[in-house]
Amino acid sequence: MPSAPLLDLDRVSIRHEGAELATPVDVSFEVARGEVVLILGPSGCGKSTLTLALDGLVPHAVPAALEGTVRVAGLDTSEHPVGVLSEHVAMVFQDPDAQIVTGTVLDEVCFAPENQLVEASEVLERAERALKLVGLWDRRAENPDTLSGGGRQRLAVACALAMAAPVLVLDEPTANLDPAGIDEVYAVLRELASERDHAVVLVEHNLDAAVDLVDRVIVLDAGGRLVIDGPAREVLRERADELVALGVWLPVSTLAAMRLRDAGVVLDPLPLTPSELAAALDALPSLPAPLSDSSPVRSTALSPRPTLATGLATGATGAIAVIGETAIAISPATGAIAVIGETAIAISPATGAIAVIGETAIRARDLSVRRGGRRGPIVVEGVDLDVTAGDFLAIVGTNGAGKTSLLQALAGVIPAPRGTVDVLGVDPARCPSRERAQRIGFVFQNPEHQFIAPTVAEELAQGLRLQGVSEADAAPRVEAMLHRFGLEALRDQHPFLLSGGQKRRLSVGTALIAGAPVLALDEPTFGQDRARASELLDMLRGLNDDGTTVLVVTHDLQLVADYASHIAVMDSGRLLGIGPTAEVLAGPLVEQAGLRHPPLARATRGLERHPAWHSITRMSQLPVSSKGAS
Amino acid sequence: MIAAGESGAVTPELPATPTDGGGPHAASAALDPFAEHRARRPSRFLYALNPLAKLAAPLPVMVIVMFSRGIALPLAFVVFAAAVLLIGARLSGRAVAALLIGTPVAALVLGVTFGVWIDPSSVAGHPAASVTLVSIGGWDFTLAAYLVGFATGLRILAILLLSLIAGVTSTGPEFVRSMVQNLRVPYRLGYTALAALRFVPRFGHELEIIRAAHRVRGTDIGRGPVAAVQRALGYIVPLLASAIRHAERVALAMDARAFGAHRTRTERHFSPWRLRDTVFVACFLAASIVIAWLTWGR
Repeated sequence: MPSAPLLDLDRVSIRHEGAELATPVDVSFEVARGEVVLILGPSGCGKSTLTLALDGLVPHAVPAALEGTVRVAGLDTSEHPVGVLSEHVAMVFQDPDAQIVTGTVLDEVCFAPENQLVEASEVLERAERALKLVGLWDRRAENPDTLSGGGRQRLAVACALAMAAPVLVLDEPTANLDPAGIDEVYAVLRELASERDHAVVLVEHNLDAAVDLVDRVIVLDAGGRLVIDGPAREVLRERADELVALGVWLPVSTLAAMRLRDAGVVLDPLPLTPSELAAALDALPSLPAPLSDSSPVRSTALSPRPTLATGLATGATGAIAVIGETAIAISPATGAIAVIGETAIAISPATGAIAVIGETAIRARDLSVRRGGRRGPIVVEGVDLDVTAGDFLAIVGTNGAGKTSLLQALAGVIPAPRGTVDVLGVDPARCPSRERAQRIGFVFQNPEHQFIAPTVAEELAQGLRLQGVSEADAAPRVEAMLHRFGLEALRDQHPFLLSGGQKRRLSVGTALIAGAPVLALDEPTFGQDRARASELLDMLRGLNDDGTTVLVVTHDLQLVADYASHIAVMDSGRLLGIGPTAEVLAGPLVEQAGLRHPPLARATRGLERHPAWHSITRMSQLPVSSKGAS
Repeated sequence: MIAAGESGAVTPELPATPTDGGGPHAASAALDPFAEHRARRPSRFLYALNPLAKLAAPLPVMVIVMFSRGIALPLAFVVFAAAVLLIGARLSGRAVAALLIGTPVAALVLGVTFGVWIDPSSVAGHPAASVTLVSIGGWDFTLAAYLVGFATGLRILAILLLSLIAGVTSTGPEFVRSMVQNLRVPYRLGYTALAALRFVPRFGHELEIIRAAHRVRGTDIGRGPVAAVQRALGYIVPLLASAIRHAERVALAMDARAFGAHRTRTERHFSPWRLRDTVFVACFLAASIVIAWLTWGR
């Protein structure tokens, strides 16, 4: 069948075992050689499930019912085993660690063709070609564990290429990577796409990286139905509002342009990349002045619905914040009054714990940390750091820069040398856990790691039991926490059975229940899509507005730019600098640490006609429509 | 136990060539990182042998050592195994030092640690029972007890060194390959076991994180064995949850790469059973029989 498309889906519905509804539902499309197709859709629409169906893992290896037909190079996937289909479709999954099975880079690339009984000399030829393409040929004798996250994911791409399959399917290949790793992987994918040798099917939520290499977009709605199938640029530009309404993430540059459009600055066509945004802005003779950083309008900048963002804020539950002396803003926080000034005091509504805003909450002096005992390598070296109560501090840096170790040492999770860390008057690694829990809460990357009780309510009560609070006194506080994080209906559920977002909220709740005014989170957005990440950060902003000091480790610089008040930049164990977000992003530190500026900053830094806009790094600095600002 | 015999069982697609790096794909030998390694191998004979030969030859000797008595036999085999290792394997300076100095020191120390556990009455008939080395209160540590302990220590060291002959000179993948090729162990089993080996450090790391996470929750307040058991039970659920999830992902990734799709898989490295393997096993066993004959019961 020479005319058959490489992939042909006809009315495909997939229902996981135990699930009530099928996602995706009734999806039909074809993919031909040379096409680069991006599948978009809100969380839970079945994008990943759909990719598993493309090489027969659904229904052969995953317990799920497949309706309709999937044809791979003319072969019906339900009639042919995965082994046969793998000659036509190669897969790259999200987690690089879960794809490695052998002990050296070369063996890893040879693994699939060896399984396919390709002749040994050809196996080595393919391995060499694939490894050279991804730039790992010189490291072929190494153990894959020695590669960086980006390196391991490039290895996974090389493994897929060595299968010599005409279709390459990638399921969120960069979700677990830092910006440097994302760039590495996309450099490889760009080269592949330009060769037009493969059909590439890509699921990706990081559109900023993917947008310039895809030529077709398929969009599923929340129910898993195919709603849009068309050329990438046209779809993203002309149906941007529709996509936003579906809960699909758009490139930051497009979101910025949509926000500007609401403010009366019309960019047509909508830009998709920072350079397009910069060019479009420079083409305009004049622009309204950017909002200053201290502007009281704090819209949810990266919300999927930019036109609604400011409206939501005014309609929310009505906390009143008095900033400075005159400005009054209504924030979407949960019922707290925060007076932020020189001597003001923030009252945390859940517990009544008091931290004086403006005073130092965390102080580190000459802090050095070794991993794995006295002889272990130094991962944090000579860090001096002050965190003021009420700050939202983001610690950024490349993988291995020592961010997590620094945060863990500050929170007493790993011991720091005596006298180097002070959190609200105690050394967190040496005080009783009860006292530590009253001052600082720590949330691990994977919330499951922290769960110790059989029910959600018990999980929260555990923290109070540690404080010696009686059962009678604990009950209302548990109740308040359940209410605050929207978990009332799930009080008797096992924590492991919650959804990803609910687990995250519960882990934050357990960290805060003892009344800690400081919350530390390790990579809270790792491996999540942008919608989930922004939901979490909105929650953190709400806590921060209520007076909680928040520390996060992250490598998503656009989220940092939009949410953090301060940034600490780490590189190879040293603190390069710490300061207010706008200052740090405007300075050279970000590049010194080997990081890339967030997309919005990349667009505004190079503007020729509008020097006043050079300092714009966050969405909330963009001018808003007059009705939003009122 | 070496049922596959001299020719070895090799994938049908590829001729069973007795090759060691060159052979069927001489051009690709240059591409193969292991080829250089292999080319150096003949300098030390143990690397040129099939891993199964290195395991098969010492195995019966270990059994003999296990059931031996006295000092002479295990001592002779400690010396023999150390000699085979020094001649046959490329050892680092530290490893040579550990072998030459560490082994005797370990034997002497083990003599004390095992010796104190010996029931004095069981060695009462020994000629050295009257020589008391240390006396604490009513308890005498006699030379006889020490010698029995010393013999036990030597037996353990002999078995350890004999197992190092295979352990030091072959890697996990080599073992799996030769088992698959020579013993007809299904490759799905062998390679799955290899993949599972990668899980071990991962779970160690995961457990470390879980323990830190539970400490943060304040589970470290209790003391004593009950609290410790409770804590350990608390680690099981999160560890299992992440282990199962990880294993599922790895299994999907292996399926997607055609693992198990065919009855055999291409082998880039051959691990045939050659004449030299038979010669090695025969010589090793012959030497061992002579040593055992000369030293048994002394």
